Amino acid sequence: MRLTKVFVLAASVAICSGPVFSQAPAPTQEAKPTAASADTAAKPLSTRIVAYQIEAKLDPSKHTIAANETLTYKNLTGQPQQTFPFHLYLNAFQPQSTFMTEVRLAGTRGNGPDSEWDPKHFGSITVDKLEVEGAGDLTSKMEFIHPDDNNTEDRTVFQLTLPKPIVPGASVEFHIAFHDVLPKVVERTGYAHDFDMVGQWFPKVGVWWKNAWNCHQFHATTEFFADFGTFDVKITVPQNEIVGAGGDLVSSANNSDGTKTLAYHSEDVHDFSWTASPSFTVVEDSWTGSQGPVKIHLLMSPGHMGSAQRYIDAEKGTLRLFDQWYGPYPYDRITMVDPPHGGTDAGGMEYPTLITLGTSAHMPQGVLAPEIVTEHEFGHQYWYGMVATNEFEEAWLDEGINSYTEVKVMDELYGKNTSAVNYPFVQMSETGLQQSGYFSDPDKDPVASFAWKFINSDSYADITYGKTALVLLTLEKVIGEDTLRQALHTYFMRYRFTHPTGEDFLKTIEEVSGKDLRWYFHQAIYGTQVLDYSLADAHSDPLKWWDGPAHATQKNDKDEVYRTYITVVRKGDFIFPVDVDIQFDDGSTAVEHWDGQDRWVRYRYDRKAKIQSAQIDAHNQIFLDRDPFNNSFTEEPDPRAAHKLRTIWVFASEWLSQLLAWLT
Amino acid sequence: MAAANRATFFSGAGLVWQWQRLVWWIFMVCLIFGFFSTHGMTERANLLLDHSVAAQRLVNGFDFSAIIMLQQLRDSPLEIHGPPIFHFSALFVAFMLFATGGILAAYVLDEKPTTTAFFEAAGHHFWRFFRLTIYLAIVLLPIAGLAALTSSMHTRIEEQSISPYPGDHFVEAAAVVILLLLIIVRVWFDMAQVIAVADDEKKMHRALRRAFGLLRRNFFSLFWLYLRVSIITWVLFAFGLYIWMFRLGPQPNVAAFLVSQLMILIWLGTRLWQRASEAIWYRNYQANRVPEPAWTPPPAPMYMPVAAEPQA
Repeated sequence: MRLTKVFVLAASVAICSGPVFSQAPAPTQEAKPTAASADTAAKPLSTRIVAYQIEAKLDPSKHTIAANETLTYKNLTGQPQQTFPFHLYLNAFQPQSTFMTEVRLAGTRGNGPDSEWDPKHFGSITVDKLEVEGAGDLTSKMEFIHPDDNNTEDRTVFQLTLPKPIVPGASVEFHIAFHDVLPKVVERTGYAHDFDMVGQWFPKVGVWWKNAWNCHQFHATTEFFADFGTFDVKITVPQNEIVGAGGDLVSSANNSDGTKTLAYHSEDVHDFSWTASPSFTVVEDSWTGSQGPVKIHLLMSPGHMGSAQRYIDAEKGTLRLFDQWYGPYPYDRITMVDPPHGGTDAGGMEYPTLITLGTSAHMPQGVLAPEIVTEHEFGHQYWYGMVATNEFEEAWLDEGINSYTEVKVMDELYGKNTSAVNYPFVQMSETGLQQSGYFSDPDKDPVASFAWKFINSDSYADITYGKTALVLLTLEKVIGEDTLRQALHTYFMRYRFTHPTGEDFLKTIEEVSGKDLRWYFHQAIYGTQVLDYSLADAHSDPLKWWDGPAHATQKNDKDEVYRTYITVVRKGDFIFPVDVDIQFDDGSTAVEHWDGQDRWVRYRYDRKAKIQSAQIDAHNQIFLDRDPFNNSFTEEPDPRAAHKLRTIWVFASEWLSQLLAWLT
Repeated sequence: MAAANRATFFSGAGLVWQWQRLVWWIFMVCLIFGFFSTHGMTERANLLLDHSVAAQRLVNGFDFSAIIMLQQLRDSPLEIHGPPIFHFSALFVAFMLFATGGILAAYVLDEKPTTTAFFEAAGHHFWRFFRLTIYLAIVLLPIAGLAALTSSMHTRIEEQSISPYPGDHFVEAAAVVILLLLIIVRVWFDMAQVIAVADDEKKMHRALRRAFGLLRRNFFSLFWLYLRVSIITWVLFAFGLYIWMFRLGPQPNVAAFLVSQLMILIWLGTRLWQRASEAIWYRNYQANRVPEPAWTPPPAPMYMPVAAEPQA
């Protein structure tokens, strides 16, 4: 504990010489358009299907929001549309919702809501009035639907049938009056103390995708899917509140009733979220990339300032590498929100140009949790924010690809072996972090599963995040690291501001690499096979007379010829070509390439040397291999690792004995 | 008084040093139990790691993900490890319950702890100390309640404050209070053990009562005696951990083993230091006590002869 405080103090001192902090209320100056935003104004980056205009008023004492929304939907589906589905995500936080049913059955991320379901966790969104331009009040026509599970108690999706269809190319305007009750922080949204995280808070229209409406209910493990467009949001809050939002601040005006109204504008995004708290400390910084400067707007919660510089450094490093490797970041801002203690379930979440982070008051320097969460959530600006895949149906395309890029960026920024934990006495790599997750639950579900159809939330996380990252890391062995990076760049540039599918991604990799990789994808993405190769046997024996002609060449003891057998077994069902590197005690080597098709293979050598070592995947490129400890054999035993473990465990055992002996 | 207390403090260390074979024997028992409790794990670790190149992840550094992966294997060397450690720890507790009588006999009587004398004293006091341990469990219940109360108050503070510090500081303060309470309880029960050995007190509730009286009357000197040794223990233990984790490289196994065992030795030695100091304190107390006046029977009542009343 004391050591931690020293670390925190040291970090705080370092921060004080860095960027500018202010405790002042939210900035009131109008945001200056940058080069990047000027470009976007000139030419939309996305096909803008929706335009939301929302006026919202927060009551921070009750954690409620009253709002009016105008949604202009442009029918670019190519066919007349009469029925429109809408999400009402906040209704997931009700006892009988599909979300809660799944949470009770199979868990969820973070702490989740209390299993006892305390009423303070309840959240809701109620549509008070829904009018359609030209069709009048259609509130009574709203109908809750349950496309995924027929749970009639779930009220997270409703549909509205208009009196007459909207013809292709025409627009329809919805006027929706609604009010939110924020839950106590759960699943990315809600309140904690005086902190309000307002995400998934407004009625949001579904996506016309693959020739049908795609508008799933809110599930325990699913995230979001929406169309691109523009957002003009006016937020009214008490004047002491500091607000952060996923948009450019256009104006700010104080009202006579002690409130202020902040107007935000955002374009070429598919969602809008915001946060408010009087306790935030604002940290401003900036970074300049290939598309111009990007303002970094960091909102820190009390007690967490020790992590501020770490967030900023990780953010700048990530911006730089994504810009360099995958493509430009086209927005002129990024808002980073550090939730307060007690509100950590609002952390680790991505929204367009706004991410939520996570740290603690005593975060040790050697534990890179603030850096990892910053990198990961920013990565989602690419893999979800811009390449807007369907998080309900193909979560691996955002979480998985993002976990892979997390490994690459963290390794680059913080060292390959120390990118998760970095102390002299213990280290952990990002790759190891992903492996630890995946290997705990490797074979229950394929990567390509609907997010809510995994056996449980652990399997969802381990497969979607961990396995996908390892699949791509292992793919580097097949096509090369640079080629995969190029493929990701191509995928990003080609599909940004669209809704690509998994096949689009896989085909891009095949196209860029020029290789047919179906044999790999079939097992790694669509299958549940586990990869585990084992060096089952390796030994050398002197040749005997019955071993035939090879023995005849032996003239004296110095010429003794040894027969060496090396047996490699494929223990798992995942077939993957492997190299076996063999070293003999005279310094000679051999490399065998095995396609892995059979269950095992045995190599034989007659040499004037005995085996020294044999190793499958000597360069450690097959990250999917479940058991790396059985991949090699050395003739000379090296007990140092076991000795080290024994020292630790003997010490732990003795110390426990000493502590318990205190009772005597 | 302070000078006498200081003398007791150092005399305690001297006594531990003088009869250091006790420390070494107990340490050896602890070490042997430690080895036995980890034997299965070590065998399996040898089997998995000795001929594996991947084991270098634990040799050249200490890759925590390698540990997790080992734990996740079906024939994990770590999986079988938990229960034996607890079994041998329980065995060590029983051993210490037995040995305490012998240790205290050496310290209280200041006589060379021969094997025979040690085991005789240990056997003689075993059930007494067993009963004391039951009393200790009863006394610890309110402290456990206090810990539970602390936890619930911490939750309440956490809910009310947006800053993590009030909750953290409350827990830190509560932890210090609970730790000091535990030290006080140990001073009390150690004194009861000393009385049981020094005065061959058979009734443990009486020993506890007398010990409590002594503690109450000499609270600061006894408490300070224990607290000083505890602080030395914690500082040396933390220093050992620092050396092990931050100063030793990843590879020198022998040095790491020696440092770890030195830490255990310090933990054990300083605990015995506390016991020895208290034993000396009690000896001095007994020696310096003003003897109460010897009991003399009250004079026999004198009966005056009463004249017989005249018979009617």
